[in-house]
Amino acid sequence: MDPRAGDDHGEAGRTGAPFVVLSGITKRFPGIVANDDVNLTLVEGEVHALIGENGAGKSTLMRVLYGLYPPDQGRISVRGEDVRIHSPRDAIALGIGMVHQHFVLVDRFTVTENIILGAEGGPLLDMEAAHAKVAELATRYGFGVRPSALVEGLSVGEEQRVEILKALYRGVDLLILDEPTAVLTPQETDELFANLRTLRDAGKTIVFISHKLDEVLEIADRITVLRRGRVVGEATPSTTSKEKLAEMMVGRPVLFQLEKPDVQIGESVLRVEGLWAAPALRGVDLEVKSGEILGIAGVEGNGQLELAEAVVGLRPAVKGRIALDGADVTTWSVDKRRDAGLAFVPADRHGQGLVLNMSLWENCILGRQDDPGFSRFGLLLIRKIKELAAKLIRLFDVRARSLSAPAASLSGGNQQKLILARELESDPRLLVAAQPTRGLDVGSIEFVWTQLLEQKSEGRAILLLSAELDEIYALSDRILTIYEGRITGEYQPDASPEQLGLAMTGDQRQEEAS
Amino acid sequence: MPLLDLGAALALCLKYSTIIFLAGLGGLFCERSGIVNIGLEGLMVTGTVMAAWGAIEFGPVEGLLLGLLAGAVFSLVHAVATVTFRVDHIVSGVVINVVALGLARFLSQLFFGAATQSDSGIPDLPKLDIPLLSNLPWGLGRAFENMSPVVLVAFGLVWPAIWVLRRTRFGLRLRSAGENPEATRTLGVRVAPLRYAGVMISGALAGLAGGFLSIEVNQLYHEGQTQGLGFIALAALILGNWRPIPLMIGALVFGFAQAIPLRLDDFFLWSWLPEQFIRMIPYVVTIVAIAGFVGKVQPPAAAGRAYEGAGGT
Amino acid sequence: MAAAATSVPARRLPAWAQVALGQALALGLALALAALVGGVIIRLYHESPLDVYATIWRFSTERPSDIGRVLENATPLIYSALAVAVAFKAGMFNIGVEGQYLVGMVTAAAAAVTFDSLPAFALLPLVVLAAMAGSMIWAAIPAVLKVKTGAHEVVTTIMLNGVAISLLAWAILHPLRTTDTGLVDLRTDIFPDAAMFPTIAHTFGLEKQLPESVYLTWLFPLALLACVLVWFLLFRSRLGYEVRAVGSSAGSAQAGGISIGATQIKIFLISGALAGFVGLNQLLGDKGFLGSNYEAGLGFAGITVAFLGRNHPAGIAVAAVLIGMLKRGQDALALETNIPIEILIILQGVLILSVVIAYEIVNRRIARRRQHEIRAEETALEGAG
Repeated sequence: MDPRAGDDHGEAGRTGAPFVVLSGITKRFPGIVANDDVNLTLVEGEVHALIGENGAGKSTLMRVLYGLYPPDQGRISVRGEDVRIHSPRDAIALGIGMVHQHFVLVDRFTVTENIILGAEGGPLLDMEAAHAKVAELATRYGFGVRPSALVEGLSVGEEQRVEILKALYRGVDLLILDEPTAVLTPQETDELFANLRTLRDAGKTIVFISHKLDEVLEIADRITVLRRGRVVGEATPSTTSKEKLAEMMVGRPVLFQLEKPDVQIGESVLRVEGLWAAPALRGVDLEVKSGEILGIAGVEGNGQLELAEAVVGLRPAVKGRIALDGADVTTWSVDKRRDAGLAFVPADRHGQGLVLNMSLWENCILGRQDDPGFSRFGLLLIRKIKELAAKLIRLFDVRARSLSAPAASLSGGNQQKLILARELESDPRLLVAAQPTRGLDVGSIEFVWTQLLEQKSEGRAILLLSAELDEIYALSDRILTIYEGRITGEYQPDASPEQLGLAMTGDQRQEEAS
Repeated sequence: MPLLDLGAALALCLKYSTIIFLAGLGGLFCERSGIVNIGLEGLMVTGTVMAAWGAIEFGPVEGLLLGLLAGAVFSLVHAVATVTFRVDHIVSGVVINVVALGLARFLSQLFFGAATQSDSGIPDLPKLDIPLLSNLPWGLGRAFENMSPVVLVAFGLVWPAIWVLRRTRFGLRLRSAGENPEATRTLGVRVAPLRYAGVMISGALAGLAGGFLSIEVNQLYHEGQTQGLGFIALAALILGNWRPIPLMIGALVFGFAQAIPLRLDDFFLWSWLPEQFIRMIPYVVTIVAIAGFVGKVQPPAAAGRAYEGAGGT
Repeated sequence: MAAAATSVPARRLPAWAQVALGQALALGLALALAALVGGVIIRLYHESPLDVYATIWRFSTERPSDIGRVLENATPLIYSALAVAVAFKAGMFNIGVEGQYLVGMVTAAAAAVTFDSLPAFALLPLVVLAAMAGSMIWAAIPAVLKVKTGAHEVVTTIMLNGVAISLLAWAILHPLRTTDTGLVDLRTDIFPDAAMFPTIAHTFGLEKQLPESVYLTWLFPLALLACVLVWFLLFRSRLGYEVRAVGSSAGSAQAGGISIGATQIKIFLISGALAGFVGLNQLLGDKGFLGSNYEAGLGFAGITVAFLGRNHPAGIAVAAVLIGMLKRGQDALALETNIPIEILIILQGVLILSVVIAYEIVNRRIARRRQHEIRAEETALEGAG
């Protein structure tokens, strides 16, 4: 992605007049302040980038602006007048539109039908006129979409253009794009940027939420950095650099300093060669040895989910090879891999970890119900299972009312502890841990980290996938960065956050920093 | 003479096809909005008894309208249960069918003094002879003599149905509610009223189909006269991939399958196949179609999820 | 960046207690609503609701023969509801119980008239096994189709119901047609006594209390046993565990190594086996032959009983007796009041609908509140982006 030479960053269309001003916006959720006294001014005819890590508050802020959440404190003014935005309808009426990260399009409809839904202009549809208007909009801003094409046949980039056209069709002047390039190829990104420049030059305002610093520097006129709900910096591309932005975004890492045990690293337990998995994993090689924690650092959506699921067996490998303790398990079922010593702590606790309606003790043997210790002649050995459950709950300090309480009644932290306890109890050779402390409180995080380090000293191999650099640093013996489905670099834990941040967010492949 | 039978068979076929098509068309609107309705049979039953009474009391046209209205009103139960209270679609449909039976018996007792049937000879609509078609050779013309106008109206509905679906705002929004309710909501369009409309359309048309059955076809009401045609309508709907013209074709095929055993008993082709097996044909065909064409059979995305069944508790 | 600390929101009652309370509340509300609606209708006929309800109660409990009749009614409903419930636990809908028990009756009849020379201890189990075999095959078809081709079991089972009706009609008309001449009804030969299920009256010498007209056979206690066995299956066996996991959270089950397709087929077969018993009481207790006047609708009735009983074996037993009482109540209404018996059918529908709606409301509120708590926790810690 070469920076476009000659981009004047908006001198042509910029009037500079403030369009939307957010003052003192504060938004709280139970237990956390997502936006903390945020001030933001958006002017006409600019591309304004809003950057920060996961959890920084970028999306929340824009959802407040778009009327999806009411702010707890603060004011919004549009063209100098204070307004209250109660719903997306209000926002659109004020000229504010939003394109979400996950598109909401009707696959079986044409482009035009998707665009005019809700804005048909009368009880009867005049499809010819609608097609014409869509086509006119598309040419005006340089979007290449055929109005009569069915959405289900479109590429991701084209779908995104349809979403943008939806907003433009309704006459918005401010367009919020939430991580728009997360799902685009480089070429599609270039096309998108060309479109955005055209819109900007026509006087529109674009808010570009992203974590990809290269792109931000390429397209943005102004940049605002959020961290932990607060604005920590503002910049323009000419006054900053990737390194400075990364530092502002990521800050100084390491919440806890845990002692990493000194462990003899042994044989190769997991070996992955040339692994491809649909849709986002594009050829990954890695190896994890016993007694080693390999940390895969990357922003969510860059192939981690596919990698974890492919290794566990929940997702078929389109290409490549997976070996566990030397055996080729690429085509093995989940059950067989588990029997061979694989354990999995999923990122999605509820969808892949626990059966919420079932009791605690029943969840404790998920995956091991056919072990001879837990069932005989097809009947469950309830007493033994409950004994195990009691032991796990005690060891891992899972706070619960009783063994029979449904898993749904546990807090997130306790649920995660339960899953971890269960998976470790099977004495695995390899533990795949995906985002293991997502959404947990400090105490639980520390507990999980301690546990993982302990497992390491017991000679297990751990494949850790995480978007939190703290975690990567605290646990990993080696670090691989992943971006757009490929490994972009290998580092030791003494690599700086800037280095990791850049590799995670789209910089070129770096030589191994040792 | 087999060829003579063909005409009579075709006549009967058109009648059954009308019933199947009407109910199926109603089901089409309902499911395209995202609500699965397996209660078409029960709605049809309601239509049969109310329409019969209406015809006796007032006249055939009023009877048909009453059947339509009764179906629409009764379908509100399904709408409220599934749309507002988000009860499982299948469960609600089963309840509709079960209650309809009891309701029909009750009403029949009330109206006709007998739990399971009315007197015969309900006044019906004057019959038409279709000008060109009734002169068809080989006895086929007989199918187009003495035809109930409802048949024409029913099949004629296919064009307005297509037009509503494709060319009106309501149709666009209805379809989007069935394909991607979230997309619909994000654009500020409320999904619930659309689904209510879809369900009530299915009730109305199923009720009309029932009315046609009791007034025009049998000239009486009797319990069980719907013979599972409501379920066959579902089959036709699925086979027709939830589109009006394929539905119509499916309805004709199934209608013909219904008519065959009654009119071609001695036709040599059928004599080796017992009547009961011929009756099975529409069902078997549907199963084969669904199993074989699963890739091609595409329910409206949201309704299809309801077909996947509920989660256990 | 690691997330900031969060506090766990305080809860008033343990979640499971909330759920149990909610279910009880919902059931109570639903019953009250149905009783109310019924009361209104009864008033329209100038009768007193309390009197009518008392009469229904009396007709079901006054004499041993009344109780016998209620239990006789309940018997097929228990099997049918169990069949529906076990499939439902895996997240599947077996609407095909209707067809499955018809096929079961055909195969049972075929066995009964073919092996008519066998003694009772051999013939009866054979007939029962034949019934189970027939209904299991009928259930296997949609199950395999679903797993292999993805065909919706709702549609395939309904279609197979239709096929079953025709199959039964053909069976009694052709292969199994009775050799007796001069009959008005279509039916098979009369089964030998050896194929008939012994009645409880006969076994305990209670013919006086439970006269001939009451067909309370050992199928009833067997049904209760089936409830116990199903409970064991669902909550104490490995298969039941896997079934519930698949039905509740297929993703987690799969991540745990459970094969979704295999589990679904197994439980559907069990469901089919249970369905085979549904027709046995009328076949081997009452009539002694398979004729065109068989009792239909027991499959759908099973669905309603299953939902009334919340898909739990204990609840099903209770609900089946309740519906059995309502059926008996039809006689009560007919004999003692001038209220048409169809009212009871309508009332049944009202009851079922209000129960289902009430349960859904309560369950969804509880689930939604819990989800909200959990999601708020997690969203907050993530800041939603």
